[in-house]
Amino acid sequence: MAHRYLFEQMVRRELRQKYRGSALGVLWYLINPLVLMGAYYLMFGVIFDQASEPDYPLFLLVGLVVWVFFNQAVMSAAPSLLDQGVLIRKARFPREIIPASVVSVQLVTFLALIALLAPITIAIRGTLDVALLLLPFVLACLFAFILGLAFAVSILHAYFRDVAPILSAALLPWFFLSPIFFRPQSITEQATARFVLEWVNPIAPYIGAIRDVIYGGVVPSAPQLTYVVVMAAVVLAGGHRLFRRLQGELAVVV
Amino acid sequence: MTYDESLRPGEIVLEHASRAFSVRADRGRTLKEMLIGRKRAGGPAPVQAMRDVSLRIEPGETVGMVGRNGAGKSSSLRVLAGIVPLNSGRVGCGGQVVSQLELGAGFGRDFSGRENIFLNGALHGLVKEQIEERLEAIIAFSELGDFIEAPVATYSSGMFLRLGFAIAAHLDADVLLIDEVLAVGDEAFQRKCEARIAEQIAAGATLVLVSHDASLIERTCRRLVVLDGGRKVFDGPVAEGMPFYHRLMGTAEPVASS
Repeated sequence: MAHRYLFEQMVRRELRQKYRGSALGVLWYLINPLVLMGAYYLMFGVIFDQASEPDYPLFLLVGLVVWVFFNQAVMSAAPSLLDQGVLIRKARFPREIIPASVVSVQLVTFLALIALLAPITIAIRGTLDVALLLLPFVLACLFAFILGLAFAVSILHAYFRDVAPILSAALLPWFFLSPIFFRPQSITEQATARFVLEWVNPIAPYIGAIRDVIYGGVVPSAPQLTYVVVMAAVVLAGGHRLFRRLQGELAVVV
Repeated sequence: MTYDESLRPGEIVLEHASRAFSVRADRGRTLKEMLIGRKRAGGPAPVQAMRDVSLRIEPGETVGMVGRNGAGKSSSLRVLAGIVPLNSGRVGCGGQVVSQLELGAGFGRDFSGRENIFLNGALHGLVKEQIEERLEAIIAFSELGDFIEAPVATYSSGMFLRLGFAIAAHLDADVLLIDEVLAVGDEAFQRKCEARIAEQIAAGATLVLVSHDASLIERTCRRLVVLDGGRKVFDGPVAEGMPFYHRLMGTAEPVASS
């Protein structure tokens, strides 16, 4: 990895530039998701409390933190190649570094939020279990899945500028269809609908597995774990392949 | 069509290289075009920037590249640098290729000069230790003094370019690709840049220099390539090439001597 140092530099650049000149600086990376989580907690945890789950706020927050990572990473990866157009036109280096550094910055935020939320959840729920040992593995799979998506989304957006607007339009309904506020089995009896909510939405098994480990204190089901691993491998390989195939003309299109 | 990295350090090869660019204001395609499966009608036809150009440059050669605006000089440099791929043909440069295409482009404006040295070094594949070794020399060369700790946003355009050149000049290039960027700073600094390029050539680097400055090319290059309309129309010693170039340009007056 001759370009590891470049990757490191790009991450620093990303961290510094986004909130340049602001008093709180990189803390904004934490504040935004925290505010979002606070708002949804208030909305669905207090005002519209369904109380279908014990310690519902924690149930909700664990799912929400996964979604925020997914959402932020994909949305900031989409325009990343265009944003760094000058570097692409100037030098020859592996272009993957650009979306990868953007996603990594979001990963750091996500891990900080998990480090904040997991101990609280485990303490209140009393869910300290050996299942927790699976957490790093599931998180690694989640990262791989999102990185693969980020490769695909960033390279597609460089060529087709409609990709980011389409994504931001799609992410809102996608958010409400994801099992963040509910468990699929507790809102519908219909087998097809449940199947769709649980398995067709690729982020759902990740939310489910991470929630099982932190909030439930149980090992995720075998199909869920398999899905998490296979989806990560497929999306990462596919996204990277697409990136490689399309990256040739990058210096011309950005 | 791939970039050949198996060459000897300093060796440059172009074989039957062709490259066209579509000329459009908005460079991306929209999804609609992709779904409909056709490109927008109208607009200018693609520009053929390189047509079947073949060139073999041995390590240590110094080559000037001249031609009218739009003759394909800058495209050739971008292709040699591996930034833009060919439509057909083969290209490759051996060893560490340092292209001075856009000096200072990509500087993080909120970062200090020193931090930008690290970022730029990394962009050219150097690791931290390699950059640290060169740090003092780069800072000294740039003549920025205490400004090296100030954000690049506070630099004058001359300081900006000086730092850009200083970094590029200390990357231990096997191949130097330079595009019209020697008009950096004042005359004294320009002389320093030329001297630094001469040093790198003496150390065995290959030079490809694009410039409209005939006397600069005569001072620094032994071989001349003249491009016209994307084609190579002359390739030989500078002494023979310059009169050819001036005839081509319709400027028959004697070459300005330095």
